[in-house]
Amino acid sequence: MFRFAPYVFKSLWRHRGRTLLTVTGSAVALFVFCFVTAVQQGLERLTKDKQAERTLITFQENRFCPASSKLPEDYARTVAKLPGVKGVVPIKVFTNNCRASLDVVVFHGLPTDQLQSARDLTLLTGSWTEYAAKTDGAIVGQAVANRRRLKVGQKFTLGEVTVSVVGTCRSAVPAEDNFIFTHLDFLQRARGKNSVGTVTQLEVQLADNADADALASQIDAAFHSGPVATTTRSKGVFQRDTLADLAELIGLAHWLGYACVGLVLALVATTTVMAVQDRLKEHAVLQTLGLRPLRIFRLVLAESMLQSATGGALGIGIGMILLAWGGFSVGAEGVTIAFQPSLDMLVTGGAVSLVVGVLAGIVPGWQAARAEIVTALRQA
Amino acid sequence: MALVEIRSLTKQFRKGDEIITPLNDVDLDIEQGDFVSLMGASGSGKSTLLNALAGIDPPTSGSITVRGTDITRLSRSRLADWRAANIGYIFQMHNLIPVLTAYENVELPLLLLPFSAAERHKRVLVALEAVSLLDRVNHYPRQLSGGQEQRVGIARAIVANPTIIVGDEPTGDLDAVTTEQILDLVQRLNSELGMTLLLVTHDPKVAALAPRQLRLEQGKLIEKGREVSIVGSDPHERSA
Repeated sequence: MFRFAPYVFKSLWRHRGRTLLTVTGSAVALFVFCFVTAVQQGLERLTKDKQAERTLITFQENRFCPASSKLPEDYARTVAKLPGVKGVVPIKVFTNNCRASLDVVVFHGLPTDQLQSARDLTLLTGSWTEYAAKTDGAIVGQAVANRRRLKVGQKFTLGEVTVSVVGTCRSAVPAEDNFIFTHLDFLQRARGKNSVGTVTQLEVQLADNADADALASQIDAAFHSGPVATTTRSKGVFQRDTLADLAELIGLAHWLGYACVGLVLALVATTTVMAVQDRLKEHAVLQTLGLRPLRIFRLVLAESMLQSATGGALGIGIGMILLAWGGFSVGAEGVTIAFQPSLDMLVTGGAVSLVVGVLAGIVPGWQAARAEIVTALRQA
Repeated sequence: MALVEIRSLTKQFRKGDEIITPLNDVDLDIEQGDFVSLMGASGSGKSTLLNALAGIDPPTSGSITVRGTDITRLSRSRLADWRAANIGYIFQMHNLIPVLTAYENVELPLLLLPFSAAERHKRVLVALEAVSLLDRVNHYPRQLSGGQEQRVGIARAIVANPTIIVGDEPTGDLDAVTTEQILDLVQRLNSELGMTLLLVTHDPKVAALAPRQLRLEQGKLIEKGREVSIVGSDPHERSA
């Protein structure tokens, strides 16, 4: 088969305009497919990973926006005493935009001594010592840092909150790369916040043997008759509920991914059909020289696969690079979905472009292989 | 046993309501080293006979035995393998692959046979030398004249040293001077290299170059003006 590789490449190059358009179309479609997959995977990571299942979020009852949830900070002490609770982190959340946005900046104020233990962060620049020493110090997630071009030593202001960037970090949870971590008491005291003694949510870490649902009910029951009633859910459910509107859109985007696959299929199949119709006589000559019908079929298949795979490689490659460097995310109500490249995406995208290449070549390849030699030779 | 034995070969096809029979119970023997020309009016079935012998147009009935193999019984794939090893086809319109150079066009049939790259290279150069085109190896068909293209086509037909070379009006698309050059080349293939040739032509001058001249009339083969039961079966008949 490889002996005919020059023929395949040269045949594609002969109609380079057509080939380049097909490859470009295929690349664009696979690029979109990549982004759609990244969004879906981001949502799945938020709602289905282990940490999301073994952590509870306690929020003010009937509140959805972080700006409107105000829990007494001392609730944390009550929750910490419940059996099955490993730890409780009171968190103050402040965001520039509660609605769905592609450029959400989310501040998470955590007790200074709990940040490093509650979050799996790797410091990329700056130092923890300086963070501990500086009241308005902030550790900025790498995605926000890249998007907003933030560096250590800079001041960053959002609304009435101004922080000093003392470090940038990478989180094991990609969504947290879009957060800016500050001291809890700083965020509570920030001008205009006036929320000393209150937090947005409690993050409850469960012991290994704890029953999440039972504990959630227990927490809510404990505060049912208190000054502020609560709703406690697993972190995954909390994030899914918070992003419910977005999740619907993302579900719709899922179909967009399939549409992209259909688009590539139609595009490559059209090009291959045209290439075969243009070369019926040429294929008849090759058969006269002794090429088996199956080999003609494989040559056509190779052409269609090559176009689809090249376009796929380009689209996936550019998509992965942009996803890796762009730090894209979408967020709502202080919860963000990070768009990240993944090996799974690379393999799926590659497989899709190859399978589409094969499917697109089957019918024209069959036509080329089954053509009557003498009839085809008589064609002008 | 003759190199080629064609027995009771009939080819029919439907054209509208009419059934056309270009070949009607044709018998023919071709010996190793024969140079045979086949003439006939347009639509007389000469190309049909040639294509049947080349294994690209299956007959309705009858047999074509080449070196003991009845090719009418072969599957499409086996027939393709058989063509690669046994047939060199010279087309009227050259039919070179436009994206391949002269060298690559000539090399094509060898890619289907178990030759090493070095052996292929040697054979391609020998074939191109035989048609005096060694100085055009890297030229594409569009960079060649009609005569040069046909010489590349001939080199492609002879490169694998096939059992038989068939030509369908190989000079039909060429001017008089180029026709002479090509015919001289074809004659040398037979006289110097001993290749077995069957040429279809409508030009009596071209046909006259072949020691054996056949004519197809109303589906029957006629050699030297008379129909015979098995054309070519008796060497004395040919010179009669």
